[in-house]
Amino acid sequence: MPPPATLTPPRRYGRVNWLGLWSHYRRGIRRFLDFAWESLGGPCVFTLMFLAVFVVAFGAEREVAAGVTYTGFIAPGLVMFSLCYTAFECAGFSVLDDKQNRTVEDLLAAPLTPLEVMAGYLLSAMACAAMSGTLVGLVVALFVGLPLQAPLTILGFALLGSLLFALLGALVGLWADKWEHYSFADSFLVLPLGLLSGTFFPIASLPALGQTLIAFNPVFYVIDGFRGAFIGYAETTAWQGLLLVGLLNLLLAALVWRLFARGYKIKA
Amino acid sequence: MIAARPTSALPCSASRPISAGMEMRSFSDRPPAPRVIGAVNWRGLWTLYLKEVRRFLNVYTQTLLAPIVTTLLFLAIFTLALGRSVQTAGGVGYAEFLAPGLIMMAIMQNAFANTSSSLVIAKVQGNIVDMLMPPLSASELALAHAAGGVTRGVLVGVAVGLAMWAFVPIGLHSPWLILYFAINASLMLALLGMIGGIWAEKFDHIAAVTNFVITPLSFLSGTFYSIERLPDGWEAIAHFNPFFYLIDGFRYGFIGHADGLPGIGAAVVLAVNLLLWILAYRMIATGYRLKA
Repeated sequence: MPPPATLTPPRRYGRVNWLGLWSHYRRGIRRFLDFAWESLGGPCVFTLMFLAVFVVAFGAEREVAAGVTYTGFIAPGLVMFSLCYTAFECAGFSVLDDKQNRTVEDLLAAPLTPLEVMAGYLLSAMACAAMSGTLVGLVVALFVGLPLQAPLTILGFALLGSLLFALLGALVGLWADKWEHYSFADSFLVLPLGLLSGTFFPIASLPALGQTLIAFNPVFYVIDGFRGAFIGYAETTAWQGLLLVGLLNLLLAALVWRLFARGYKIKA
Repeated sequence: MIAARPTSALPCSASRPISAGMEMRSFSDRPPAPRVIGAVNWRGLWTLYLKEVRRFLNVYTQTLLAPIVTTLLFLAIFTLALGRSVQTAGGVGYAEFLAPGLIMMAIMQNAFANTSSSLVIAKVQGNIVDMLMPPLSASELALAHAAGGVTRGVLVGVAVGLAMWAFVPIGLHSPWLILYFAINASLMLALLGMIGGIWAEKFDHIAAVTNFVITPLSFLSGTFYSIERLPDGWEAIAHFNPFFYLIDGFRYGFIGHADGLPGIGAAVVLAVNLLLWILAYRMIATGYRLKA
């Protein structure tokens, strides 16, 4: 008896399982948009509150450096902070949520290589970060002028910054066994790194020890470079930041990839 | 193994003296009389309160340590960014002015988070019936939740205050006022959290309330600046914000200077709490979004 003619042959794909990667990516985006009030509303309100407190109450005209008002100084930093933090939350939440719900097993059983699993998490987190960053940028632009002096550099720093935080998020998500671990890393590592990075103050206002310490905070280079591309005033050079954060991203990506490949805390 | 099962199912059978068997027989003949509950179900109230407290103590890194770190970060940011350029009304240093406001912010956010998350989680997971079925009245339910929120608010306030004390000289002008405003702030936000938690149908709803109501009100209530600095119209509006009285009165307890009158503030927050209590009680009593 001949085999039934309706049997479809198995799907063939080349070196990259594009359909699988796309599905994995889209899942991350949907998860983010399901909580839009929190995931997009939160950063907007946070940014507006900081702007309001600094601008309304402390005078917008105070100058940080020649020709740079304080408001103009913190506005790009706030956008970058929202962008980075969203990338962290999105990647960390997705990985840990999948572990908790055991849906990570569906990913491991699917024909996706560890690299594709990692890329899906990172790319969706970066896309969500782009949404949040753009929205916050538009909201900020309603109140404060955001000149775009070097759009390509802005894009470069946005990509590298969100990748850095998405990688941190994936790392924390893999390491954490429960939500408490995640929030521990959030409050004790990511928030301090993000908030003490020169978003809110020029490093010249720090004591000497603080100026040395902040040079070891990679987020400082991201924020400073991003801000410099907007307002043309930076405390480091753009290439320095791009190179440094790019290298750090490569190292972290290699680590996260190996962890996914080894099945660290996701395979029994 | 299978033969052993019936005896081992009785927890104490092996070690029990033979005479105890008599008791067991009479026990099974006549079931115990139902517990008589007076005007207040004290045991139920206490049990639900303990559950509310244990819920946040179990995750103390999230509920006690995280607020400490966040508050210290805010202190660092604002003193570094603004410290030297800000004149405060009371003639105290900016850090000293800021510290009580930040402690109050931590108290408010945590009291709100305790009741709202407890109710939303219970509703989403469906175990809210475990609270509605037992012999607990609406006022007992409200009281146990509110007390849990107040406990968390005050504990966080103490923890954050002690941590700040290491960095900022904090005076104690009138400890009783500090306590009064700390408890009233916790109660106000615990009640708001209850109302929000009952209203919300999923986590995202309560996140919206936190983001668009609680955070703005607590940020813009004079935590970071004296409201005298605001433009005239805004200063008047700030007086309609109950959170302003909480922060202002609380700060008065520390530095002995207030933007408004602490006596009026004390009366306003008490009145607001009374209204919120009635609203929360009515919501529970009518089963609004709690009972199908």
